[in-house]
Amino acid sequence: MKKSEALRQIKKLCGERATEARFECALYSRDLAPVPALLVDPLFKTVPDLVVCPTGAEEVAEILRLAGAAGIPVTPRAGASTVYFDSVPARGGIVIDLNLIKGVLELDEEMMTVTVKAGTTWSELERYLNARGYAPKSVPSSAPASSIAGWLCMMGYGIGSLKYGSLLSQVKWAEVVLPDGEIRQVTPDTDPPLAWFAASEGTLGIITKLNIEIRRQTPMKHFLLHSRALSEIAGVLTAVKDAEITPYNLHFTDEACVRAMSRQGIAPGSVDSGCLLAVDYEGSEAELHRAEEMITALVTGKKAVSLLPGEVAEREWEERYKSLKLKRSGPSELGGEVFLPVSRLENYLSDIKRLAGRYGLEMCSYGHVATPERMIIMTMFFADETRVFEYIMDLSLVKKIQDVGQRHGGYPYGVGLWNTPYLGRIFKVSELEQLRARKKKLDPKGIMNPGKLYKWHPMLNPFNFSLGMNVLAGIRRFVRGGGRG
Amino acid sequence: MTSEAKSLFTTLEREALICGRCGYCRNSCPVYRVLGWESATPRGKISLAKEIFSKGNSKALTDEFVQRVAQCTLCGACAEACSTCIDTRTLWLELRRRIAGLGRTPKAYHALRENLLAHKNISTFSNDDRLEWAQDLEDEPEGLELKAGAEVCYFVGCVSSFFPQAAQIPLAVTQLLMEAGVDFTTMGGEEWCCGFPLLSTGFADDAREFTRHNVSKIKELDIHTLVASCASCYHVWKHECLSELAGYDLEILHTTEYLARLVKEGRFALNELEEVVTYHDPCDLGRNSGVYDAPREILRSIPGIEFVELEHNREDSLCCGGGGNLQSVDAELAAEITGLRVEEIKETGAGIVVSSCQQCEQMLSTAVRKAGLPVRVMDISELLLEAIG
Repeated sequence: MKKSEALRQIKKLCGERATEARFECALYSRDLAPVPALLVDPLFKTVPDLVVCPTGAEEVAEILRLAGAAGIPVTPRAGASTVYFDSVPARGGIVIDLNLIKGVLELDEEMMTVTVKAGTTWSELERYLNARGYAPKSVPSSAPASSIAGWLCMMGYGIGSLKYGSLLSQVKWAEVVLPDGEIRQVTPDTDPPLAWFAASEGTLGIITKLNIEIRRQTPMKHFLLHSRALSEIAGVLTAVKDAEITPYNLHFTDEACVRAMSRQGIAPGSVDSGCLLAVDYEGSEAELHRAEEMITALVTGKKAVSLLPGEVAEREWEERYKSLKLKRSGPSELGGEVFLPVSRLENYLSDIKRLAGRYGLEMCSYGHVATPERMIIMTMFFADETRVFEYIMDLSLVKKIQDVGQRHGGYPYGVGLWNTPYLGRIFKVSELEQLRARKKKLDPKGIMNPGKLYKWHPMLNPFNFSLGMNVLAGIRRFVRGGGRG
Repeated sequence: MTSEAKSLFTTLEREALICGRCGYCRNSCPVYRVLGWESATPRGKISLAKEIFSKGNSKALTDEFVQRVAQCTLCGACAEACSTCIDTRTLWLELRRRIAGLGRTPKAYHALRENLLAHKNISTFSNDDRLEWAQDLEDEPEGLELKAGAEVCYFVGCVSSFFPQAAQIPLAVTQLLMEAGVDFTTMGGEEWCCGFPLLSTGFADDAREFTRHNVSKIKELDIHTLVASCASCYHVWKHECLSELAGYDLEILHTTEYLARLVKEGRFALNELEEVVTYHDPCDLGRNSGVYDAPREILRSIPGIEFVELEHNREDSLCCGGGGNLQSVDAELAAEITGLRVEEIKETGAGIVVSSCQQCEQMLSTAVRKAGLPVRVMDISELLLEAIG
């Protein structure tokens, strides 16, 4: 089928829910990352030819059949709340906006599951469940924007993961439209299994519905610990993480971040230095009581650690989705998100401090513990995207952050387009081969979200990328000066 | 970011750069919820504003963009959701001002401006007819018009003054003030539009002329307490007249605040009303001015009333669709937004939905009628009057 004919039929299918207008399509060519057009446009065609908003799996299936017949690339998109261009086209084609596939279908109080459509945001699900005395087991830290299916398509770790595991472990089944248009219900035991779609970044099909385990909404208790000594707070973090009662959320903020918040007037409890550790528990009153005793004992035994007032800790919890508030000091922010071994936090931060000093800027780190072994840590610095050339030089430091992460056993959290040069760090060769085999099996025509996850763009091959970024970083240091180190 | 918190707004250029495009604003935006396109999201509009104003790409200032900027109710829900604390309501006003400055204002806005400049009110009637609604009072109080030194000046607002379907509001407020024995007056024909329609269409300088006039008249009358029944008028008096009022002692209250005070003082004998009542928070009174408790206190003070909250309430309230002059550029979109709110009203099972803004009352009345719901839409002053019997 000719491309034009396929597009015509898809437009007819979706009617007013399809648009080719440049004004509209251009807005689907970006996510959170403000990457200069100068870098993007020569390599990728990020503006789609068509944006469609289907209302259900059948419509998605028909769109995929037509797109497949004409070999048109398809990029699924919902919240578009990542920074890796996961939901931005690399080769034009069709963007399938899943935001109309929204709503809760069924709450099964006996099985303690909820069936929810793909485009529902996590905050919307949380609100629905809370009104009925239930809650999601875990939520992404971008819950107000992140969609149910979108989070599964990423790695699915966030607030609550430490206690309840990854989202994948909570999903009973998912309805998926495969690239050939077949609608399948996948479970951990089907072929293909559910696990293939987790962290697949929309490259194997489009998830339209999920059945997820839920929990009863229980009381919470929030603690916010402060210390001037990183080693002390890191010690508490490990002790709390490994204690008998697992926290629901364990969030760390480093000294540079505290200083930046203080300058902006938003530091909790008006602290102006040191590190913070937010520890949040949920459970029975008895559990919360034991947790409180444990935290009190921990703090009592450490003179260098103090407990901030309860209302400050509660406010910090209420602000849990607003980590971007620091951006007011930017106006732009650049950074790297590293899936880091918890045990290496201190060493990682020490090297980040050295890196920041070398380039004469402040790098702020914060993140939450995702599993007993790893945490998702964001290290960011302020930049100004209106100064394009300086900004491009600043971009090179993102690689430097990832290099520090790698030295400590970390790797980028998520791949998308921009982290493809790190594929060799994220996956073992055998894992990557396995992923590519899955892709070939389910999407032999390669229409689903091409350019992401499996292979780098020739210009972004690890050697070129590394060389380019290192040269830019060198120029940056030479031109803009640096500090010690 | 609500008006209760200090606005962190700097400049349009900088705020547009600060936006992190996180999309938290997306689902809170009533316009996006109806239209469903990225260009209708606050982040989409700010993204384009960044191109145009922060990066100087004037080509991005298209007619489609101007239309999207006009398709906003200024409800402030996006400001509440914003992860970078952008005072988006101020940002939208500034954006409309810039667009007007570049001569790209929608035609409907020009017509509105010309009418306002000619009549000093949003109707086409003479401003001298401002108190026509008072003819329906059984006993017109003494000093209803321009009484110097009155304890209270009731700022009626254009909609209540000129639109017959809203006349019940000033009638109710007036009767309540009389019942409570309050010494009050109005500005009569000297009351000009509060300026909000001009401010919200980008004509801030013209709006200033209106606020200056109203403030000077209040000072001339030696008034020290002003009560407004329109949420937008109240918002303008409270937040946009600060420089004109500098050094002058004027207490500015919404009718809900003043009536709640009178109720607390026991100035009304309230009879029992066996009704299930829900309350719709007007954006300019609630989210944008921080007044949530006063109307709820009034409702709870009326014996027999079973008060039920709407699913989205207080800071989280949904707009009625009538704000931001949206009706003048896209009446259909405004009506669809009202439809979202009516669905929630239906869910409560309430027999009465109360609001405290004539625009909200008009929007909701039309939509409830269209939906065939057995629900009465009332201003809180009307319900209170009914309770007095």
